[in-house]
Amino acid sequence: MSSTNQINPISAFILSVLSEKSEEKSTVWLAQKREKILISGKEMDFFMAFSQASRYFKKNPLNLTEDQINEIQSLSPGLRIDLWDQLQLARVYLLLQYPAADAASWKNTLQKLFETGDMYEIEALYAALPIMPYAEEMVARAREGLRTNITSVFDAVALNNPYPATYFDESAWNQMVVKAIFMQRPLFKIQNAEQRANQELADIIIDFAHERWSAGRDVIPELWRFVGPFISEKNLKDIKKVVSSENKLERKAALLACSMSDFSEAKDLINEYPEIKKDIDSGHLTWELIGQETLEKALS
Amino acid sequence: MEMYIDPHIHVTSRTTDDYEAMRKAGIVAIIEPAFWLGQPRTEAASFKDYFSSLVGWERFRAKQFGIVHYCTIGLNSKEANNEPLAEQVMELLPLYAGKQGVVAIGEIGYDDQTAAEDKFYRLQLELAKDMDLPVMIHTPHRDKKKGTTKSMDVSEEHGLAPNMVIVDHNNEETVKEVLDRGYWAAFTIYPHTKMGSERMVEIVKQYGPERIIVDSAADWGISDPLAVPKTAALMRKMGIPEEHIRMTCYQNALAAYAQSGQMDEMDWLKAEPIDQTKKMSGNSVLRGGQVPRVEGPSDRVEN
Repeated sequence: MSSTNQINPISAFILSVLSEKSEEKSTVWLAQKREKILISGKEMDFFMAFSQASRYFKKNPLNLTEDQINEIQSLSPGLRIDLWDQLQLARVYLLLQYPAADAASWKNTLQKLFETGDMYEIEALYAALPIMPYAEEMVARAREGLRTNITSVFDAVALNNPYPATYFDESAWNQMVVKAIFMQRPLFKIQNAEQRANQELADIIIDFAHERWSAGRDVIPELWRFVGPFISEKNLKDIKKVVSSENKLERKAALLACSMSDFSEAKDLINEYPEIKKDIDSGHLTWELIGQETLEKALS
Repeated sequence: MEMYIDPHIHVTSRTTDDYEAMRKAGIVAIIEPAFWLGQPRTEAASFKDYFSSLVGWERFRAKQFGIVHYCTIGLNSKEANNEPLAEQVMELLPLYAGKQGVVAIGEIGYDDQTAAEDKFYRLQLELAKDMDLPVMIHTPHRDKKKGTTKSMDVSEEHGLAPNMVIVDHNNEETVKEVLDRGYWAAFTIYPHTKMGSERMVEIVKQYGPERIIVDSAADWGISDPLAVPKTAALMRKMGIPEEHIRMTCYQNALAAYAQSGQMDEMDWLKAEPIDQTKKMSGNSVLRGGQVPRVEGPSDRVEN
């Protein structure tokens, strides 16, 4: 369990950012609500403040400095507060003030907060999972977040969030990656993707690609990242098919996947494309680059 | 392209074809009042999930079609008659009334004008006052004239300012008193019965555009989600000045509900482009194989 001591520096950091970025009347309101929540300990006071934060904080970007980003990374590795907005940050601050001494009652309150939250409130909650008290007990809730069809809510769990890689078991992890592929999310924003790669996931992805191809449809190039370490005799023909694709981005992705493999025939494939091999070896061709290009293509 | 607001539509009951047609016809923003679902709910949790969908899924669904979705939160008059249930729903309301994009308490008021309806109407007027939110009043379809007068009397008894109250479902018989007393007068355009577009044109001719609001109240019954743009088109054809059309089919609704602090023209003028690639998922709005329509900056509504 995360102790209060671990949370306090984060609360202090968040408060310093909010004080710097927002108007005085907003931070005064926040201090009043904190007091009220701490003294009354009442759920309803907390719920109302959590909702009404939107009257005092805007969805403006935080524009954190490099020092601030480094600070938060040392406090909570992987937490991407730099991508949050002011309103979201204020809500997470309030969340961290709510008394958490009793695990059962805290979880019960959070359950209600999730069930009655609007789209933006729920996004704020999921993005804050890694710094919640009892974070390790929120796995079922996080999995519930993956079942949504509201993209921004799904993204709050799956993307730019260290929670899944830290706490999910293999089945939850695979469920998330497969749905992210299905929803065409930018996979490079999934944290620690390579550490959690596994054979089962690679097999599911190959099956998924076959289904799509049968329907005359494409798959997003980024998915080959999750197959790379598991290229074998069995799926080599699929990789070869993608390498010979007309689509340059797909070819690059398949070859980058080959570079993650110890399978000799995968290595041989890369050698057939010396220019791309050069980019891979020099570190110019990365999964992030492929993901970015996929995003740009989707929007053009 | 003209811009319209439909400040009363139950889109939860409408299809994506409707959303597409609405956007094409110029509707940029809508307000979905909490109402009943055609048959009475029997559990408070059903209300909770309904309210959650109004601030969650439906908001997202509308956004995919380039329409900004707001809602009002309230216990409707029909279901107020189940008193034990209504008590529980009253406890839920504060949880939702303060949320972003909730522009009023509504639609509340009278249906059969029973004692229970009166009780929960009054409690919700107090809630609106506490939350500093406008009120959307549903006037009864039976005994309308007396019910409308009573709705305003009771609202004044609780100290609400008329400019914070939108009285909906007006007709020729009720409009004069509603306007004279300083309220916003909304008109629901129904395809067959009750108020039609032709009659609406006559009302705007007679009373002018001040504080008059046109809506569709389209729901799960026979109704028309394009009632606002169609009425605007008829007004145009009948020679109503463009400024009056703009006021009755856009500006007045915005002015009335923006008093909540939760509705801002910039929400759609500066809206993110529609990105349907966001939701290519099995149960989602786009099914496999369809080509997403991604609206680029050049397609954005200007001005």
